[in-house]
Amino acid sequence: MGDEIASSGVTLPVASDPTRRAFGLRRVGSFLRGSEEGLWRWGARVASLIPLVGLVFVLTVLAIKAWPAIKVNGPGFLTRSTWSPGSTYGAPVRTDGVLHPVGSSYGAWPLIAGTLQTSAIALIVALPISLGTAFALTERLPRWLSRPISFFVEILAGIPSVIIGLWGVLTLGPFLANHVYPFVSNNMPDVPVLRYFKGNVGYGEGLLTSGLVLGLMIVPIIASTARDLFMQVPPLPKEGAEALGMTEAEVARRVTIPWVRSGLIGATVLGLGRALGETIAVAMITGSILGQVSPNVYGTMTTIAATIVSQLDSAATDGTGFAIATLAEAGLVLAVISVVVNVVARVIVNRTSQHLAPVGRG
Amino acid sequence: MRNLLRSLTALALVSSGAIVALSLPASASTKIVTCFKLEKNVVHTKKFHGTCGAGWLRKRPKPKPVSYVSVETPGTAILSETGSTLLYPLWNIWAPAYQTEFPSVSVTTGGTGSGTGIADAASGTVDIGSSDAYLSSTQRTSTPSLLNIPLAISYQIIEYNIPGLTAHLKLNGTLLTQIYTGQITNWNDPAIAAVNPGVTLPNLKIVALHRSDGSGDTFIFSQYLTDSDATWASKYNFGTTISWPTIPNELGENGNGGMVSGCQATAGCIAYVGISYLNSVLSAGDTYAQLENGNGQYEMPTSKAVDLEAAGFTGKTPANGTISMIDGKINGGYPIVNYEYAIVNKNQSSATRAKAIRSLLEWTIDPSYGQSSQYLGQVRFEPLPVKIVTQSYKQIKTIQ
Amino acid sequence: MTVATVTDSYPSTRWRRFREHFFKGLSVASLIFVIGPSIWLIADVVIRAVPHWRWSVLTTVPVGVGGGLENAILGTLVIMVGVFLIAGTIGVLTGIHFAELQRSRRNGKAGGSFLRTATEVMAGFPSIVLGYVGYVALCVGLHWGFSLLPALIVLSIMVTPYISKSTESALRQVPTNYREGAEALGMSTGYALRKVVIKSALPGIVTGLLIALAIAVGETAPLLYTAGITNNLPSTSLVHQPIAYLTYYVWTDYNQPIKATQYLSFDAALILIVLVLVLLVSSRLLVNRTQRYAEGRH
Repeated sequence: MGDEIASSGVTLPVASDPTRRAFGLRRVGSFLRGSEEGLWRWGARVASLIPLVGLVFVLTVLAIKAWPAIKVNGPGFLTRSTWSPGSTYGAPVRTDGVLHPVGSSYGAWPLIAGTLQTSAIALIVALPISLGTAFALTERLPRWLSRPISFFVEILAGIPSVIIGLWGVLTLGPFLANHVYPFVSNNMPDVPVLRYFKGNVGYGEGLLTSGLVLGLMIVPIIASTARDLFMQVPPLPKEGAEALGMTEAEVARRVTIPWVRSGLIGATVLGLGRALGETIAVAMITGSILGQVSPNVYGTMTTIAATIVSQLDSAATDGTGFAIATLAEAGLVLAVISVVVNVVARVIVNRTSQHLAPVGRG
Repeated sequence: MRNLLRSLTALALVSSGAIVALSLPASASTKIVTCFKLEKNVVHTKKFHGTCGAGWLRKRPKPKPVSYVSVETPGTAILSETGSTLLYPLWNIWAPAYQTEFPSVSVTTGGTGSGTGIADAASGTVDIGSSDAYLSSTQRTSTPSLLNIPLAISYQIIEYNIPGLTAHLKLNGTLLTQIYTGQITNWNDPAIAAVNPGVTLPNLKIVALHRSDGSGDTFIFSQYLTDSDATWASKYNFGTTISWPTIPNELGENGNGGMVSGCQATAGCIAYVGISYLNSVLSAGDTYAQLENGNGQYEMPTSKAVDLEAAGFTGKTPANGTISMIDGKINGGYPIVNYEYAIVNKNQSSATRAKAIRSLLEWTIDPSYGQSSQYLGQVRFEPLPVKIVTQSYKQIKTIQ
Repeated sequence: MTVATVTDSYPSTRWRRFREHFFKGLSVASLIFVIGPSIWLIADVVIRAVPHWRWSVLTTVPVGVGGGLENAILGTLVIMVGVFLIAGTIGVLTGIHFAELQRSRRNGKAGGSFLRTATEVMAGFPSIVLGYVGYVALCVGLHWGFSLLPALIVLSIMVTPYISKSTESALRQVPTNYREGAEALGMSTGYALRKVVIKSALPGIVTGLLIALAIAVGETAPLLYTAGITNNLPSTSLVHQPIAYLTYYVWTDYNQPIKATQYLSFDAALILIVLVLVLLVSSRLLVNRTQRYAEGRH
């Protein structure tokens, strides 16, 4: 049997190998190979624990630093709108055993609202564009065009967010405020929802611009995943639908998308997570106004992440440490939102992939 | 497989080649020499190509030392400074000049806001924190070894962007309070017109800019409002970060730089900016206001007015430098004047580092070096009076 | 027998045709809405940076208000190498764990979903929160100050999930025949991994690594609070010495009124885009080459 295998031209690490036998390394070799297995197993197991350890560590540090603020700010933190550090140069007072400046009152409602608003706008903008792009790349464009374009979309994913913010605040914002927003604002009918689009258009820094830029940032994430998913849809169901007389739009709507629904939800949530946590581009474009929810869609506002990055240094000047604890509390809120969104998405993905199991997909 | 290896090797070679090429020091075609000149007991520094110009020497001359300051010679150290954007342009002039004198010390400067300067100095992540604001009592209690050392005298202007208007409007604390609380929303408001007879004010919405980061400029501006208007004092008080009232037209900006560029881009804006940015303000086409001081006089931010205000407070400045020179009842004094502080920890990790920090700070307060007009003049700051220099020197000597 | 008329409930042909054209138009329009702004963005950076570009920007450090970006370029490269080593090792091993070495559940689905969930949760985590935790726990808590090691740790935590995900998917794409053949020949799992599986999955793994490096290079918020900033070239010490990076200059200097400083910001943006392009193009070239190799001359 050894001759048969040897003659096929493959070198094998078996005992009949003359070199190993000659040097008597056979036992050492097999010991090393045995322990190599263990090395890989344990090395990989330890490595896989590290992200979990990192997550637990981050949440723990956040909770510890935020605890004094949680005690004093209370549940009203999530609904109040003021952001007042208090009198940092006066004598501090003690509430519930926590030292803080007189008159300090923090409310994160505008921050939470801003985060949800920008992410909502980003999703509303990005989802149709990503799906349309993915369809265009897989179905409509010829191969020689779709490969460079999908590569281009991936490049967009890699562009640093600070550069996208730079473009947004220096070029896109003023352009939109001067040419697009006035037109939209003047022509909007004064009905309940669309009323939000009327009003002072500002100078380009604000909610709508940040939402649009955020949408542009998450389009590559959803589009690349959607494109990969669409390419995996087997042609048989699609061709069958076309044979039945369905138009391309109907094939897309009734065959392709349900086939990959769970993957799409996963990709969308990934994009949503990115939008919720995006810090720098939003900090550059939102105008950094604490303490109010924007009255219309053009107004300046702030998000949790943008607030943390712009206020962290000034919070450190509060000698009692209360301002930093409050920012840690805001960060904890953001972290919890992000974790919950991700976990819910994974649950949805797991459950829908259980139900689906269509024919042809083993 | 082989192709994969080839591609990876090529990539690695190219990137390491790039790293090596960039690490090599740039070779100069003509050698640039640093030459010195002693003029009026002040050492001037200038760079020439090849040889020194007439009257300039290659060897650094020693000025006659003043009795109350002496600059130590440091060892090798890498120092970092960050903080006030008002002091930042001056640090960018001081640091290269200091490094020409003492090349063994390298100084990195940063303009991140006085709040960051204080915070980083307190946490030890930076060696020297710059701040236009002195330390609060809470900060002193939590980090008792922090010093605030006056390095220069600076002041603040109120700039505005009204297209077509070049006059220096008269403004006072009450008007500014009403603007920043939203009671006055338009430039042609009768309250502003009452104080400025003879000036045609346009019908233009006021956009009030404030600093969104922790700022010494916010500190001195809010102190001015607190001292001159009772409503502001009761509701908003002063600090490096305050809770700005929400009004329909406002913007938050980062740093003095952001204030200037934000005001340039926004017609009708009003902003409080440090004097070191005056050139940028003027080249942006904006102008600044005359402010009412404690005696009811409207003063322009001139060198004379600032010196008068500072002189009025020199006697009252305590040994630790903590004093506010805002809105004093001084004839002819400009009301928003402040010391620029270096926030330093008395206890340093090593003696070499402490010596380098002392040397740098002594250099900046020495009238023959840092306090000379060749540096201060570029940012329009005023030099410290002798008494304050002596007090600062005493504080610097405690850094160990 | 009456024939059920379908035409009442079924949409008319005109409506369907309209929907068809609308759909086709929408997908082309979406392409334009993606490609247009992207080209605008890159062109804008190039237009702002190129007129004032000097080659000395690559070889001098910041001096006063202007100067160059040598410290930041080298700092970014050093950070890149560090993240490659730390996050690369951890991420690849994690991916191997999920793909190969995990014990399957009884119902046939992949095991270890708790660990996988935790890893994927870290993928979308807000970067500023990680930066803050790094600052509090490492820079101030362990007294490391602004330096390279906290920056590398924080960036690695951020980027590891992406590497592990791409490694896992690359490993899953290796045909089971390879593994079965290796097992039939008597190779242990670890040996088979090293000699057979990973070699086949290597292009996918390296692509994932390069993309993760591109992400790490473009991060600002976590570095602001862990790496600090300095005008000096990167030093050899891992702690107590701050390090410069390109994104700092883009974030800090973009709205400075002094033109020389603003140009520094645009130059840094241009260099960043070039760097990211190099990384992504290399990854794509790698995939193309090895695909051709695998499909062709094997």
